[in-house]
Amino acid sequence: MPPKTARAIIEYFRGVTEDPHAYARSLQQKGQRVAGYMCTHVPEEVLYAAGIVPVRIITAHTPQAISRSYIHETYCSFSHDCAYQGLEHKYDYLDLVVTASSCIHMSEAFNVWVRFAGFQTKSYLIPYPHIMQTKPARGFMVESFAEFKQFIESFAGRAITDADLEAAIGVYNRNRRLLKQLWDLLKLERPPISGPDLATVTLAAQVMDKAECNRLLEQLVHKLAGKQGRAPAGVRVMATGGACDHTGVLDLIERLSYPATLVFVDSCTAARYFWFEVPEGRPDKLDAIAEGYLSRIPCPAKDVVPGTGEKERFRFVQQFIEEYRPDAVVCLYQRFCSPQPMDVVALKPILEKLGIPSTDLELDTTIPLAQFGTQLEALLEITQRMAPGG
Amino acid sequence: MDRSQIVAGIDSGHVDTKAVVMSGGKVLGYASAPTRLDPATAAGTALNGALADAGMSQSELAGIVSTGIFRDVLESPALHVTATVSEHMADARGALFSNQKARTVVDLGGNVHKIIRFDGAGNLVDVAQNDKCADGLGIFLSTAAHSLGLSEPELSELALGSTGSHAIAIQCSLSAQTDATDLVCQGIAAADVARAALGYVVERVASLCRSMPLAEEVVVAGGLAQSAALVGQLRTALGVHLSLPERPQYVGAIGAAVRGQP
Amino acid sequence: MISAGIDVGAVSTKAVILVDGEPRASAQTPTLGPEASAAAAFDTALARAGLRREDVRCVVATGRGRARVSFATRTVTEIAGAAAGAVRIWGPSVRTVLDAGGESCRVIHCTERGRATSFLWNDKCAAGIGRSLETLAGMINVDVTGIGELALRAGESPRLSDFCAVYALSELLDLVRSKVPAEQLVAAYHDAMARRISTLVGRAGVTKSFVIVGGLARNAGIVNRVDALLKVDRLAAKPDWDPVFTVALGAAVFAEGFSR
Repeated sequence: MPPKTARAIIEYFRGVTEDPHAYARSLQQKGQRVAGYMCTHVPEEVLYAAGIVPVRIITAHTPQAISRSYIHETYCSFSHDCAYQGLEHKYDYLDLVVTASSCIHMSEAFNVWVRFAGFQTKSYLIPYPHIMQTKPARGFMVESFAEFKQFIESFAGRAITDADLEAAIGVYNRNRRLLKQLWDLLKLERPPISGPDLATVTLAAQVMDKAECNRLLEQLVHKLAGKQGRAPAGVRVMATGGACDHTGVLDLIERLSYPATLVFVDSCTAARYFWFEVPEGRPDKLDAIAEGYLSRIPCPAKDVVPGTGEKERFRFVQQFIEEYRPDAVVCLYQRFCSPQPMDVVALKPILEKLGIPSTDLELDTTIPLAQFGTQLEALLEITQRMAPGG
Repeated sequence: MDRSQIVAGIDSGHVDTKAVVMSGGKVLGYASAPTRLDPATAAGTALNGALADAGMSQSELAGIVSTGIFRDVLESPALHVTATVSEHMADARGALFSNQKARTVVDLGGNVHKIIRFDGAGNLVDVAQNDKCADGLGIFLSTAAHSLGLSEPELSELALGSTGSHAIAIQCSLSAQTDATDLVCQGIAAADVARAALGYVVERVASLCRSMPLAEEVVVAGGLAQSAALVGQLRTALGVHLSLPERPQYVGAIGAAVRGQP
Repeated sequence: MISAGIDVGAVSTKAVILVDGEPRASAQTPTLGPEASAAAAFDTALARAGLRREDVRCVVATGRGRARVSFATRTVTEIAGAAAGAVRIWGPSVRTVLDAGGESCRVIHCTERGRATSFLWNDKCAAGIGRSLETLAGMINVDVTGIGELALRAGESPRLSDFCAVYALSELLDLVRSKVPAEQLVAAYHDAMARRISTLVGRAGVTKSFVIVGGLARNAGIVNRVDALLKVDRLAAKPDWDPVFTVALGAAVFAEGFSR
């Protein structure tokens, strides 16, 4: 029975994030092939064009030490959790696992799946340029995508035509536009949906068949149209950073002892996933996909303008600050991540210049609610210029 | 070999020094003393305690065999070491002493934990030791107990009564303690925090155990094995029967005395 | 006007009673459960002040366990408390406060009126410095209040990892095999922890005047080393003020304000 109210649709999405395995298996039960992907640099359209549904591998939030025998202790908790899930056969049902070479921690989690978790014959690593902002990057990506396409054709036992690719691009662009439309609602005076709910919906989208997802998103957009929620209360907070699939962290922002509203999430698992489009109607589809993926908000692991040390990502961060008008920023990154905290060091002076206070939350499998709550509340106190004596 | 000879074994560990006095295949006296970064003094104290427990004097000893991480620095005017044995060998022999069918010993020490596999004669087959980030499990449990206002046995007892499912990060003792503290500050019941703390230790040990095949029977040794709750959780995590000696913290000292007999 | 501040920290709970702007009494107890520890510290401080709960107009709780203090009127974070408390004790020249507690370290920047303007919390790898010193003290059977003095006595000492307290302790234990005396090891550990703390302060940046509060401020071994590493003029500890109570005092100052 399809969900009826906006709340019911949001809860359906939340259910998908809480049990992505059940969702993925339900696709297989309908006769669809499912490919897990560990990095959003993977050109999902190529898989989709072959009738394979890409499903993002997200973490189980399980404290464990099994993965420590396979990848180094000081790899990020996201990669440890992914490695663990492979080793414990949580994802055995997948037809394929794919990743792109981005950060070393996720690459090694992928390698664990290939070497030790039985994915040797059902895996593919897409070589990606180290740095995206270089002349050779595009050509390299097109070649790499072409090899990937050949592999998928052989794997799926069918050709991938230009028409297939164009259709996939269309579905994926529709998904990106719908998500953007929903996040734009947070710019309204009285948004009909909350930031934490939107983050949950966006996370679910990464795990779902986009055609089905689009239908639900369209319904959600329709149900929210013209509705008014409560006006954003207290401090406007924007979250920026790396992969954060723990909805509890974002929920916490709106449950503190001072009022605060989460107005935007610029992260690998939120805005960076969909904030771009692939050009449509081009004769060379793989080149179009490369162009689209090159236009994404850069991941810190790949974002250095050669010779200058500049970060292209910050252009987007500043744009979001202008559009969503946060009073404070929360920087999220996984403990032991290298690229994200380095970005934060470069981002802080920009925030300071804009007069926007910030704090860092180091993510792990577990969330220290009391400590995170304290850091966030201190951020709110500072933003509101709370002083002793009134 | 004259098995009626009286031999002392001293296991000088990072946190505690354990001593036994043995003769004729029997343990006559036990004692332990905190090492306190001064192995020689602690060895003397532990030895004297074991001798007193056995009702004997040091002059009656045919030999003093040392093992443990500090085995090479126990020598003092008051204490002459006659032989040293590696911790792994001592653990293997000590485990066999408590259980002739033993072929694996899981040694849970104050700072280091290790797994030793051996044959029926006590010859080593394989050894695995924790990596640096997993150091300090015993020290962590002491700290965790202290932070809850409990002794270690009390923490263990309290944990047994918990059915809570709160988890703490399984990264290192620092994160574990930080998370445990956070749980306390969130108002989570001490019993549940205690169980989570033990859960950290168990998961760490279990993951080391999974890195090599365990040959049965498996003996649990070391100071941490005194915790019934811990051993129980470890049994569940490993899914294998664990043989628990009467005084698990003395396995190394016994093994040294047995192995090092002249 | 009587107000109170209760700082439910990760390791210990501190209570301060303010009477007409002056600290009248204080008390400290280990944090074993936020509500119970807050009540214990509060009631002990009240007894020392010769007051009852009803005499106190406003109670503000701070610290990690503040949400659990049922009898608090309001809460503020320890960031706000540290700024307010430091300025109340050391005066309006204070701009940077290092709050070195049992479980975490924080650097807070503030205005001359004690309003926090920014802060830096230690990363997870730098957690537990205070607590690890307690552990070390326990290992050598020395009171933690005396361990800092011990660290001052040693001359040269070996260098330990300053990245992580677990590594530092393991390396320290290893040095026992080389017969390094306990005093030197304690000094070496203080060196490593002081470097860790100074790195945090360096990242946050220090603007004069600078003060150190929290439990570790009582440890001369740490404080002296931090001074030497940072080379920043620090306002000296007040002879009649135990720095561990500064955050609780700050909460009491907020309570004063809320009462008006």
